[in-house]
Amino acid sequence: MATTPPAEKPPAPPPPPNTIKIDGREIPFKKGDTIIRAAHDAGIDIPHYCWHPGLSVAANCRMCLVEILPPPGRPAMELDILRWDAEKNDYVPAKKPKLQPACQQGCTPGMEVLSDSSDNVAEARSAVQELLLLNHPVDCPICDQAGECRLQDYWLEHQRKGKRMQQEVVHKPKAVPFGPTIVYDAERCIVCTRCVRVSAELAGDPVLSIRERGNLGEVTVSPGRELDHDYTLMTEHVCPVGALTSSDFRFKARVWFLRGARSVCQGCATGCSSFLDYDPRTNVAHRYRPRENPLVNRYWMCDEGMLSYKRAHEDRLTAALVGREDATIDEALQAAKEQLKGHKNDPTKIAIVLSAQHSNEDNFALATLAKTYLGAGDFFLAKRAPGKGDEILISEDKNPNTRGATEAASTTPPRPFAELVKAINAGTYSYVIALGSEVDVDAAEAQAALGKLKGVVTIASHQGPLAMAAHIVLPACSWAEADGTYSNNPDPVLQTKRSNGDNGATLQTQRAERALTPQGDATPGWKLVAALAQALGYAMNWKKLADVRAAMGTESSARSAAVVEAVAVKPEALA
Amino acid sequence: MAKMTPSNPWMKPAQRQVAGRPVARPNRTPSVQAYVPEFLKGMSLTMRHFFKNTKEMMLGQTPDPVLEALEEGVTTINYPEQKRPYPERFRGIHRLTLREDGAPRCVACLCCSTACPAQCISIEAGEYPEGDRRRGYERFPQSFVIDELRCIFCGYCVEACPVDAIRMDTGLHAVPYDSRDQFIYGKDLLMAFAGRAGDHKTANPRHEPGDPGHPGVTREHEH
Repeated sequence: MATTPPAEKPPAPPPPPNTIKIDGREIPFKKGDTIIRAAHDAGIDIPHYCWHPGLSVAANCRMCLVEILPPPGRPAMELDILRWDAEKNDYVPAKKPKLQPACQQGCTPGMEVLSDSSDNVAEARSAVQELLLLNHPVDCPICDQAGECRLQDYWLEHQRKGKRMQQEVVHKPKAVPFGPTIVYDAERCIVCTRCVRVSAELAGDPVLSIRERGNLGEVTVSPGRELDHDYTLMTEHVCPVGALTSSDFRFKARVWFLRGARSVCQGCATGCSSFLDYDPRTNVAHRYRPRENPLVNRYWMCDEGMLSYKRAHEDRLTAALVGREDATIDEALQAAKEQLKGHKNDPTKIAIVLSAQHSNEDNFALATLAKTYLGAGDFFLAKRAPGKGDEILISEDKNPNTRGATEAASTTPPRPFAELVKAINAGTYSYVIALGSEVDVDAAEAQAALGKLKGVVTIASHQGPLAMAAHIVLPACSWAEADGTYSNNPDPVLQTKRSNGDNGATLQTQRAERALTPQGDATPGWKLVAALAQALGYAMNWKKLADVRAAMGTESSARSAAVVEAVAVKPEALA
Repeated sequence: MAKMTPSNPWMKPAQRQVAGRPVARPNRTPSVQAYVPEFLKGMSLTMRHFFKNTKEMMLGQTPDPVLEALEEGVTTINYPEQKRPYPERFRGIHRLTLREDGAPRCVACLCCSTACPAQCISIEAGEYPEGDRRRGYERFPQSFVIDELRCIFCGYCVEACPVDAIRMDTGLHAVPYDSRDQFIYGKDLLMAFAGRAGDHKTANPRHEPGDPGHPGVTREHEH
């Protein structure tokens, strides 16, 4: 490129593309993007406390200051400062560019931004860190946030020196209960107002606010109120420091011992993407964290969902039951063979109950057993009774896989459980093979009806009416103990909101990873279905989950395609 | 098959020849054969020490086995009545240091169990009850268990502790017990051990919440 032909007449310069340069790297931006959002979307991290991609801009922590180079031919905006000169042992006049908060400064085409490569920015970050830590109690040993604290991370990245203030730090209230779920420590708080904005913008309940100013600033609850809306744990989740702690998780575990499995919340039909944090040493699940998913929950989860991780340990069935007595799985399968002895004579006497609580794989396995081997075509659906919903994330349908279970029966949509009770009372059925344990009809009524049958075999992960009524129960893995996919079904109001570009959810089939080692004798549901089929003398030879998914793939339904697609997503892309 | 030696007179019962060469028999001189003088020689040594030790014990003159060894080359000591002095930084059985009021200094941060390469420390954290002056500032170990059988006495837990709550300066080593569960040391036992100086104090300079001079926890206090 040494010799360039002499330019004839330069064409009119093309309009600059919608890109900015950060530290020399060119990244695209969308109209209305701020620098930090464009960088965030491009995978560049600009350190920040108060900015959150799902919240409005506050620009109060000053951690994201960046240097913006002046446009060509224009002077830089500079400030007169006094800089310490060690040689002269005195302050000398100097100039410093005016830094801008990247979270508030909009992008303009061709803008050049210096972040990590600017000494001025490095100095500013170090100074901001020192200021934020000035009155910090540094009680990391007892702080639940230690290990995932921005103050710790950024101290290491951007400060790396002690503070110079030698006076006693400002003391503020500690361990203040904000409500049933949140405990507040004002000394650790950096007053970034993320929690205030979550309450106001996500939950629509502006119950938190800031009082006082400067180093006396602290978060308070409205007089006469408690922090008790449906998204209180999100205030804790967005808190970049240890100021807000969840009273559920408080002092239970150290985060560096936890591993996060990419999971799906089982609390309702919205199916929020989440991390299920568990301690692999003790095989105990400790908490949920929302996992960013722009198509479903964005950055959020509700309190009910956040606390539903407890279902991984509560009311679990960990051993097979034969007539309410503990048994091994082999014994239970033998007993099931005995009970279902006459089923081949009249397949119409068999009712199949699919579960909206179990994964697509489990439901598919049972549907395949019914249609391909048993010849039964009467499907019913066991699901939890509907509850309260809202227009933010919570769905009225409290089952994670209603859509998947409904589609598993493909041609004959499963009927409600109430109809099964009616049909049993009318003497239509003699045998029931069921998945799941919870029903949306009166438990006593369901148990009374099922008690009349010749054979009731239930594959369930948790205790519940269906498991209680069954003659034979096989212990299935919960969602936390087995890989599986779940097809969500958010309320129409959420889907409408989403189609208008607002907070809401779309229909998705998502994969939940195994977190815990199965407890007791628990075995994946599809495996139990296959074992039951083999005990009944059918050649259902699925050995691993991939076999089930391959069988699903041969089906040409939309659901199978969705499952195959969900499984094919690289795990890294889900993080 | 064993190599046969023609001059070997020793045969095994089945008339098989014994492998190897016979050991020469000692030359038994008359003085050896008459054992009494040798016996007296040996007994005199035994009795000399018997009387010497008895006398020293009665008079309290027992020499220090290390600093004033009994005799040149004698290194045995009467363990466990006597013990060698351990070096100053000997890492012995752990102890939990105490506060002024006898509560454990530990704040249950789990740094020690994180640092422990043998994974022998298990702690459950608890929160001070409502009204306690330490509530909000600190937490405490509801249970603090060290498996001294698993412990490799590396001292990492002491290094890791941010509040000088665990130390290995007791000068004790794990004694042999009857059963394994006796090696599982609980919080109360660990708190009962004193340091070599005989106290339970900690060198942690942090002042206690609620101490005189501590600025207090309410905003009404002057900062």
